[in-house]
Amino acid sequence: MRQATHSGPMRSSLSGWAFIAFPLTVLMVFTLLPTVAGLALSFFQWDGAGLPRWVGLENFRGLLADGNFGPALRNTVIYVVAAIAPAVFIAFLVSIAVHARWFRGKAIVRTLLFMPTIVSIVAIGFVWRWVLDDRSGLLNFGLELVGVKDTPSWLNDDWWPFIWIVIISVWRHIGFCLVLYLAALSTVNESLYDAAEVDGASRAQVIRHITWPQVMPTTIFLLVTGVISAFQVFDIVFIMTGQQENSYTNVLNLMTYREFTYGQLGYAAAIGAVIFALTLVATFLQLGAVRWIDRRAPRPARGPTFRGGKP
Amino acid sequence: MRRSTRRPPLPVVLVIHAIVWLLALTMLAPFAWMVITSLKTDAEAQAALSFSTLLPDTPVWGNYARAMREAELGRFYANSLIVALATMFLAVAHNALAGYAFAKLRFRGKRILFGATLLTMMLPAQVFFIFAYIIAGRLGYVDNLQSMIVPFLASGFGVFYLRQAITTVPEALLEAGRLDGMREIDLFWLVARPIVWPAISALAIFTFVNSWNNFFWPLIVVDSEQFKTLPLAIADLSAGLYVQSWPVQMAAATILVLPLVIVFFLLQRAFVRGVALTGMKE
Repeated sequence: MRQATHSGPMRSSLSGWAFIAFPLTVLMVFTLLPTVAGLALSFFQWDGAGLPRWVGLENFRGLLADGNFGPALRNTVIYVVAAIAPAVFIAFLVSIAVHARWFRGKAIVRTLLFMPTIVSIVAIGFVWRWVLDDRSGLLNFGLELVGVKDTPSWLNDDWWPFIWIVIISVWRHIGFCLVLYLAALSTVNESLYDAAEVDGASRAQVIRHITWPQVMPTTIFLLVTGVISAFQVFDIVFIMTGQQENSYTNVLNLMTYREFTYGQLGYAAAIGAVIFALTLVATFLQLGAVRWIDRRAPRPARGPTFRGGKP
Repeated sequence: MRRSTRRPPLPVVLVIHAIVWLLALTMLAPFAWMVITSLKTDAEAQAALSFSTLLPDTPVWGNYARAMREAELGRFYANSLIVALATMFLAVAHNALAGYAFAKLRFRGKRILFGATLLTMMLPAQVFFIFAYIIAGRLGYVDNLQSMIVPFLASGFGVFYLRQAITTVPEALLEAGRLDGMREIDLFWLVARPIVWPAISALAIFTFVNSWNNFFWPLIVVDSEQFKTLPLAIADLSAGLYVQSWPVQMAAATILVLPLVIVFFLLQRAFVRGVALTGMKE
């Protein structure tokens, strides 16, 4: 055995390098190096031609003075908070219903809810704009049927476009979360429910004390990855606002893109660095919260070892 | 497998069904509205909505012909297909090879290189797109189809995901092959690949959908009409670049969206399993 593995390494060494050479080069050239260079660029002024000029913290000071930055930062944070957690929580509740034995049409509901996930956000935003049209939109028609008249101009009035951006994001994200929750629920040990029933637990208690802790890893995954991608929100805002920038809908990533197209590369990089920093802080806060909650009330282990309950 | 045996009282069951089904139907509504509008005349589409104007009097199929004529939808389609298919096949192959190397081979620098691979998963596009664009420009990957393929031929997530899957391939099988004088590439293809095929197909679907829906990067690297993909075309469409008429715009949107939706309904099991396996995100 030792002999066999000993003759291996030399040969393996060459194959190993051959196998990773191309993929690692791609990651290096298009992700790793550009990240390092991009973070460094936030301390320079550069229009893409000639040499970058060192300006220290000037770009960041410029951001603080920039009238667009405050609203964009505020809107991005609101989006992160308002778009992710509600989708995750709604998906959790729906998954419990859909997973139940008495639920009819599980496969169809799952398929329908998941469908928007595979349609590009650009197409979804485009179609929704037509649904929200003031005169001929489906939404106003439906609202009039139930007696709601004099609705605001959904795509133009103050906060309404942004509110709809959040609603559509939640709406689109539910199906994705649902699929992961259903996968998690199918691995929960059924004997836990039986044990709880024997103990006379109410349905709400079962959901609160068994289902919720059992799918906690999925919840954490959905919240952490969801928040990371929400900080980068771009497509839906770009398309829903018809590329008009205003303080009600502007977000950081839209600002980066705008500055990039203006040739303000250092300034664009500084905004990118801010998004990166916010993402890191939010991720550490969430993981810290998880650890804090764990310490206070240890999460039950997965599977049959639940608090000594025998399967 | 047994689920909770207790059924809530009937009214509760009905209300829950109503809520969940209604939510599910809202997923269809915008797309149904898109198709309905695409069959109206301009006047019908712009009329204030009432029961009499909800559906078109007679379906105007000509809107689809107009959409095809006025925007080069065929070309956008071809571009999207070429980009997504090429990215899917090449990226999955490269990620799988790297995954195999990290899971089963020994080589100098493995740990630090794997660490670097994991790190790339956490780096945000907002920071690296600027220099990725500049480097792509130097390499000639700007404003062509390759520019939307090459930067995505490896992903930290793809390598990591397949590495995790390939770790489960029994070492004894590989050792036996090695003693028989098989090369590593044969071991990968003949031994590891069939075992981890579900993971590979899940990653393939994930890669395809991501590439098909990619918007930010194509928006930056592509300028010419002839290289635009579907999301770029839809963005132009919604900005009123090709036609002003809502029905024709919706006909175009239907042509662009519907085929993938149909493919999704046909393959939905594979899609859903793929997501559950990869925990994919966009």
